[in-house]
Amino acid sequence: MTTHFVNLLEDLRRRVARMASLVEDMVQEACESVTDTKEGLPDRVIKRDNEVDTEEVAVESEVIRLMALYQPVGSDLRLLCAILKINNDLERVADCAVNIAERARYMTEGAEPHHLETLKEMGILVRNMLRNAIQSFVMEDIETVHKAFVEDDHVDTLYEQTIKRIVADGAASSDGMASQLDVLSVAKNLERIADHATNIAEDVIFLSTGDIVRHGEAVLPSKEE
Amino acid sequence: MVIVPETISGRQEAQSPSRMTPPALRLRKPSQPAVTSDSVIRAEGVTIRYADFAAVRDVTIEIPDRQVTAIIGPSGCGKSTFLRAINRMNDFIPSMSISGLLTYRGQDIYGPKSDAVDLRRRIGMVFQKPNPFPKTIFKNVAWGASINGYRGDIHELVERALRRAAIWDEVKDKLNQSAFALSGGQQQRLCIARAIALEPDVLLMDEPCSALDPIATARIEDLIDQLKTHYTVVLVTHNMQQAARVSDLTAFMYMGELIEFDATDKIFTTPSEQRTQDYITGRFG
Repeated sequence: MTTHFVNLLEDLRRRVARMASLVEDMVQEACESVTDTKEGLPDRVIKRDNEVDTEEVAVESEVIRLMALYQPVGSDLRLLCAILKINNDLERVADCAVNIAERARYMTEGAEPHHLETLKEMGILVRNMLRNAIQSFVMEDIETVHKAFVEDDHVDTLYEQTIKRIVADGAASSDGMASQLDVLSVAKNLERIADHATNIAEDVIFLSTGDIVRHGEAVLPSKEE
Repeated sequence: MVIVPETISGRQEAQSPSRMTPPALRLRKPSQPAVTSDSVIRAEGVTIRYADFAAVRDVTIEIPDRQVTAIIGPSGCGKSTFLRAINRMNDFIPSMSISGLLTYRGQDIYGPKSDAVDLRRRIGMVFQKPNPFPKTIFKNVAWGASINGYRGDIHELVERALRRAAIWDEVKDKLNQSAFALSGGQQQRLCIARAIALEPDVLLMDEPCSALDPIATARIEDLIDQLKTHYTVVLVTHNMQQAARVSDLTAFMYMGELIEFDATDKIFTTPSEQRTQDYITGRFG
């Protein structure tokens, strides 16, 4: 039965890796749809979201089933807990990709070039973070995971810069405000993807060490609670 | 708290034990730490042999007061041997010898002044299979106290023990019936009542639920949780989920050695040792 359980865990890990790969592709295409005018790219991203939603439910069901039937402990328990959370983060990343793709339908021609440059830079960073986080989960590689935290700070800085520029542009002239709001929405969704990638990285640390490193440092409940 | 087995040099190997003669001579080195106030049972470099075979090897551990400590490990790892050494149940095995230091509240369990009978009154034991005496329910509980010259109200003592063993409501109207009329789970709780009627300090439990169905097991597990307010409980179990459910601390033994001893939630989520990890996840054992 143990070998059977180990095989089921590996199947599940591979399934999440495939789902992660699909979400990564969606983010890539969503970012491209912001800067390119390639026909049908946003629709392609939006269409694939259903696939991710279905897979998210299937993975969650399998985690619950394995927990109920096998009562895992130790690293097996940590793996299932991490998968449950990573699964949720991946689904939210896919939602963000859809939001970006929906904005991209309208904004390409109206957006200021400097905004597009910033969004492009953010997109590269965010995709890199997501790739590192997913890779660290698949390989269970704690070294790769730390890069995500550094890049998240950079993404946050770019996001704040974008807000300041939009405010400054809006103060100077109200022309093109709709396009500015689209830029803001894309930037916000990219920033959220970076946060989800950071969450995944934190879950990989938990998977590997058992440490909960959210909120900047290990936060453990007191015994009295 | 991680207690790592440590080698204690200067030990002397034990002679074959007899019932009344302490089986080993132990030396305490001046540099050894004093018994901490909350430790009830303390083992320092304990090795237990059956003839030439070392069933327990160089085990060092402190079992704290009023907590449930579970000992887990695969068959033959020495966990029952270690448990039985705590109240000298192994004395009855002629080929057994013990070295190292094993103390109960600072007193050497195998020292020349140790009285095995008195020790077993303070450190009671519950076995794998329920083993009530062929007597009434009342006499099963009262017997130990009676032969120890108990002078208080025996009825009160029996009721208190049965209540603490969470079986009073089920047997209060049939105290004069044979103990064999009870179910397996009830018999096991009766045996626990019999053990605690002697007002022990420590309860040793060797696979107390292995002969019981899941409902009876749940009752015993609930009981163990209640018992720790009055007693220090040391539990040997093959059932890792049971260890996870009922114990505060878990010791993992493998091939006679204590591999890891830590808080139960730590052992079952992030054990420090790979062998513990492999055992609890079923990779071996």
